[in-house]
Amino acid sequence: MSRTTRATGAAVVALALAVGTAACGDGGGSTDGPVTLTFWHGLTGPDGPAFQQVVDEFNDSQDEITIETEVLPWDSLYQQFLTAATSDDGPDIVAMSGSRLAQYAEQGVLAPTDDFYADTTYMDTSVLADGAVQASMYDGVNYGVPLNLGPVLLYWNKALFAEAGLDPEAPPTTWEEFEGMLPALTVDENGDGSPEQYPLAVGDHSTVPVFPTFLWNGGGGVVSDDGTSSMLGDPATVDAAQYWVDLVREDRITPVGMSGADADQLFQSQLAALTLNGPWLTTGLTEAGLDYGVTRPFAGPDGDDILGDVVSMTISQRLDEAETDAAFTFFAYWESVESQTTWANETGFPAVRTDMPDGAVTNEWAAIFGAPEILDSVRPYLTGVPSSGEINDDIFTPALQSALNGTGEVADLFPPAGEQVQAILDDAS
Amino acid sequence: MSARSTMSIHHRQARAAWMFLAPGLLLLTIFTAWPLLRTVYLSLTDYNLLTPPEWVGLDNYRELLADPQVMNAFGNTLLYAVVVTPVTIGLAMLFALALNERFFARTLVRTAVFVPFVVSLAVISIAFRFLLDPNYGLVTHWLSAIGLAPQQGALAQPHTAMAAVMLVGVWKNVGFYMVMFLAGLQSIPRELYEAAQLDGTSRLQRFRAVTLPLLSNQTMLVSILAATASFQVFDQIKVMTNGGPAMSTETLVVLVNRVGINNLEFGYGSAVSVILLVLILILSLAQYLYFGRRQVRY
Repeated sequence: MSRTTRATGAAVVALALAVGTAACGDGGGSTDGPVTLTFWHGLTGPDGPAFQQVVDEFNDSQDEITIETEVLPWDSLYQQFLTAATSDDGPDIVAMSGSRLAQYAEQGVLAPTDDFYADTTYMDTSVLADGAVQASMYDGVNYGVPLNLGPVLLYWNKALFAEAGLDPEAPPTTWEEFEGMLPALTVDENGDGSPEQYPLAVGDHSTVPVFPTFLWNGGGGVVSDDGTSSMLGDPATVDAAQYWVDLVREDRITPVGMSGADADQLFQSQLAALTLNGPWLTTGLTEAGLDYGVTRPFAGPDGDDILGDVVSMTISQRLDEAETDAAFTFFAYWESVESQTTWANETGFPAVRTDMPDGAVTNEWAAIFGAPEILDSVRPYLTGVPSSGEINDDIFTPALQSALNGTGEVADLFPPAGEQVQAILDDAS
Repeated sequence: MSARSTMSIHHRQARAAWMFLAPGLLLLTIFTAWPLLRTVYLSLTDYNLLTPPEWVGLDNYRELLADPQVMNAFGNTLLYAVVVTPVTIGLAMLFALALNERFFARTLVRTAVFVPFVVSLAVISIAFRFLLDPNYGLVTHWLSAIGLAPQQGALAQPHTAMAAVMLVGVWKNVGFYMVMFLAGLQSIPRELYEAAQLDGTSRLQRFRAVTLPLLSNQTMLVSILAATASFQVFDQIKVMTNGGPAMSTETLVVLVNRVGINNLEFGYGSAVSVILLVLILILSLAQYLYFGRRQVRY
């Protein structure tokens, strides 16, 4: 072997060793090196800077783990994650809604997080709101750790209540009370049947699913809690849906066909006295100078469940042991009292912990949304159901819209829609 | 010149032609032929992008033929195409005829009609969504002023939502087709009109005997483009109604997007795409044959 050949061979071996060592160091692997994890999330609103603040504090607090965040609108995040999930270039941690999580868990692109909850290695997870933890369950396995919990509560415009001659500090607490306030809260100055002010602003698509909560509290629902049976054809569901469809069509309590953004705008423009929404709305309303309050939604005859919109932090199935450990370490940091205090006070979201010390949460909205009696009543929607998007967007929403538009009757639309939902659930099982 | 040198010239010419064609062919292969073949293959599989495709033969096609959502989307697509295609072509020809005459500010009017075509359809759709908003929309305000206030927004009612997205489709494209007709009108020799005028023909007779036949090439091209665009309508529906309310504006491409991206049924979505492709192919061939027979040259 010539000197040149030997030198080249040595260089190749050295390079291979160097690359191998670097690979181990970068990914964590079997050596104890720094770990860098990419984290995709869709917190594009005022909640984004608060989240980044906690991430920066975590990165500054130690040298072993670095979290690199990438923010994308939720729609883009879900679409891009589809292709990224199967490649090595995809994110290590992804925030996703509890209702979308099962779809990815079913395909095996997410890794379980049961070890995070198994013992107190990372934290005592019993202090986390149970509804938020349960939102990431699929098929008996947990695939996430709660990033945030957004109970959907009742917002009321105090000024419009006062103008209507109602007590501005007494929003309706039951469906019956709400119905009694309709004449006062509806303003149709020219009598053309199209009110200038509506009692309520609720979207029927592209929004947090408010109508399903009406079905819950009327004794019905879309899918049973165990995710195996359709409830759309149940008499209680049909009755509850009929009640709200009548209110919309006959009493014109809300415009038909609004998206969630339309409903927010209607309420913010003071063209509606009430709306149902999560804590993310408080920032905009406060900045707009609206005189409003937030309280528990009006209870139905069969319940007072509150929709809990949960975003969970999930990890990719390709993470190795060291990377998983790093991710869990960050999750524990996120759930700490200090981080949750920052999060709640900066955003108005409630803390995910149920044991926050007195005086820690100073944001009035976070205190309302995080009140124990609220968190105890939080109920997630369609979590653990892999075809949740198809059930809600392709079957339930069109059936509801047909009823609200008067192109069909609830009694004719919901039972066949229920059969379609059942077929999807049966297919999945 | 010897046979050998003639062949050599032919060979060299052919080689040069292939070299000139190569970049275009390469792009066509990568961005058109390969995706097309891949779509046909995926339509015969069960594929969710996350796990490898699973061969299912013609199952997707059998399923879609019995799927009421596909039939609904097909009906909506057909309705959109049947209304929007002739209306767009008719208006484009009317604008072209009017704007081919000399009058004050003609260039300004031509530009105004053409401008919507160069604006992003998503932007136009968002603008129209605001214009049609039931609470603060300008169009709603005007309708209220003449006592035609809609009970709810045009986009929120199944029987008016389709009309609204059709309006945007026509408004967006009419300027582009108008320019094509204008180019055709300006290529018609003046002497033909003068001869017809000397024969004592009316304007309508000249339009039917001279203008319309000599615009047959443009009419064929515009018809194929307009019909194809109508069958592929997506952008303004996605932005303005997302197929709603109650799927009353869901067309085949919107359905493909929904089942593919939202429900991760890429195999099924591909099958619907293939059916749409075949429909457009048949329609284009029919138009080509129809107009080909009526082509006139003087």
